[in-house]
Amino acid sequence: MISVKKVDNRPLNFLERIYLPEIVRGLLVTSRHFFVNLFNPKGMPTVQYPEQKLPLPHAAKERTRHRLKLRADGTPKCVACFMCQTACPAYCIRIEAAEYPDNPVEKSPAVFDIDLSRCVMCGMCVEACPEDAIAMDTLEIPGGALSRAQLKLTKEDLLMTLPGDPSDKGAANRLANEHMKSRGEA
Amino acid sequence: MPKITIDGKTLEVAKGTTVLTAAQQLGVHIPRYCYHPKLSISGNCRMCLVEVEKAPKLMTACSTEAADGMVVHTATDKVKAARRDVLEFLLINHPLDCPICDQAGECGLQDYYMDYSRAKSRFAQADKVRREKRRVMGPHLVLDNERCILCTRCVRFCSEVTKTSELEVMERADHSFIDAKEGRALDNDYSLNIADICPVGAWTSRDFRFKQRVWFLKKTPGVCLGCATGCLTEIHHNEGVIYRIMPRPNADTNTWLCDPGRMAYKAAQAGDRLKKGVIKNGLIDLEPALREAASRIDEHHEAAAVLGSPWLSVEDNAALARFAKDGLKTKNYSFDFDPEQGIKDGILINKDPAPNAAGARKVKAAAGGLSFKELSAKVASGEIKVLVAEARAAGLLKEELKAGGARLIVFAMNRSEIPAGAYATLPYASYFETPGTFINFQGLERRTEPTAAAAEGVKPLWAVIGKLSAYSGGSLRLESAQDALKGI
Repeated sequence: MISVKKVDNRPLNFLERIYLPEIVRGLLVTSRHFFVNLFNPKGMPTVQYPEQKLPLPHAAKERTRHRLKLRADGTPKCVACFMCQTACPAYCIRIEAAEYPDNPVEKSPAVFDIDLSRCVMCGMCVEACPEDAIAMDTLEIPGGALSRAQLKLTKEDLLMTLPGDPSDKGAANRLANEHMKSRGEA
Repeated sequence: MPKITIDGKTLEVAKGTTVLTAAQQLGVHIPRYCYHPKLSISGNCRMCLVEVEKAPKLMTACSTEAADGMVVHTATDKVKAARRDVLEFLLINHPLDCPICDQAGECGLQDYYMDYSRAKSRFAQADKVRREKRRVMGPHLVLDNERCILCTRCVRFCSEVTKTSELEVMERADHSFIDAKEGRALDNDYSLNIADICPVGAWTSRDFRFKQRVWFLKKTPGVCLGCATGCLTEIHHNEGVIYRIMPRPNADTNTWLCDPGRMAYKAAQAGDRLKKGVIKNGLIDLEPALREAASRIDEHHEAAAVLGSPWLSVEDNAALARFAKDGLKTKNYSFDFDPEQGIKDGILINKDPAPNAAGARKVKAAAGGLSFKELSAKVASGEIKVLVAEARAAGLLKEELKAGGARLIVFAMNRSEIPAGAYATLPYASYFETPGTFINFQGLERRTEPTAAAAEGVKPLWAVIGKLSAYSGGSLRLESAQDALKGI
């Protein structure tokens, strides 16, 4: 059912029709804000983004710029399984896989590009990742670039360690941990 | 003729038919790992368990012969529970490798888990049995014993199809694993079929390894042009790049596909693909190359010859025939190829390495021309001054060309194909990029379909011939491959 809302479009009265009193009323509102903010700048709700930032509410923290997590030995947790590229509704992820010669994890990304100009920040890539390798918790909100090239993130741009890392979740983690142990790194 | 009832549907089958094949005829799918229609029955995976009335236990459908009056149920609670439990057994020691496994997306374990189990594992990851991973076996395969479910399809393939018996199950029970026999390498000509028939990710292809996820691949039916057998193939490609060639099983020719046939796509994507014409050794654009070739032909209009090719499609051979008959108006042309044909190794590979000798003969039947011997004698005697031919067919006249000293104008796809001493070389699109009809050694007509776009400026051979003919006097009005077949 389509809900219908009836609007009472009452005709303008004489004072409104001659327009001038309404203009004065509008200007009064504007000037009241002007003088209040001039003498009490702390009361302004405007934030001077990007110099100033508000703390993001809980769920929004998980929908900021992407990063790729690292293992304790500095290799990317990503194993180039292409799950994020498959799940991405905006087709903004491009991966090319490579093979480790020695690491039993076998697979790693040679290329991992995210085109932020296409990304819709939906977080499907994070949900799809079986390795807990991609996250959107950098608290950076992308936007405002002078060229398209600046909005294209490569693997090097994305690899980032944050407090709380390295995480030990993920399907390939057993192999990775054993490899690190065998080399005396963990 | 036993009458069997499966899930309420009754069917009369030939004696010796198993319950699984009878169910297949009725359209009832019974899950299986070790069963393969072209291999012997092993009955070890236990996935195909079905309930047979009056039988005390569940029976394996793949190894139970249909008997008269047999009543089979494939969807009872007992069968469902059996499938779920068999899967649980198979998955106990299966590693969590799906993210790094090339089989993911076409894996029997993944598919049947989603269809029949969906149960959470009751075993800790740390307790899984460990085996050797990522072992290179032979020139084409990688073996991961941890992922193996010991269905023995690969062992049976090597002992029954290639009859080379390289593989064996080593050790017993919980310790068993697949390995090559001592001192044996897995290097038979059909080894990549093992990667296809492996229902899990234990055997994977080295060539396809980590190149592409299987769910991105698009599939186009194709024909293998590696030899006169002309196997039906399925070309897997994405965004104009071919990633692998798989067999398209059919009753007439092939269930399997040989390794050289699977690698045939590499030449079409090689770095030495010709995109421009070559005069002697220098690359020049196609148009000036065509003009140069045409003017060389015009110098000796009467003494020019055209040689067909068993490597080219019927359409392109027909275009060559029309070029000789209507363009050059010469009598010196030959489409006579009659090499010895037949299966060389008892499986698939043919004695004749060219895919379309029969197709060239079809053009000969319509257009006439000299026999191959007559033409080669004329070339050897120096009577022919200019020979127009496809590169590999020109290779058949190597000695004669040397003796007679005729100028050679060839059509080639790759730089490495160009025969020594060729005067002009013109590029053309491969049969991955343009359609073509081929006739195999059994006389079956098969058509390739294009999967990828040719590089800019590279045209199908009939179009190149059309242009060459326009430059050397008479236009053939070739607008499509079908035009070439007109008047032939």
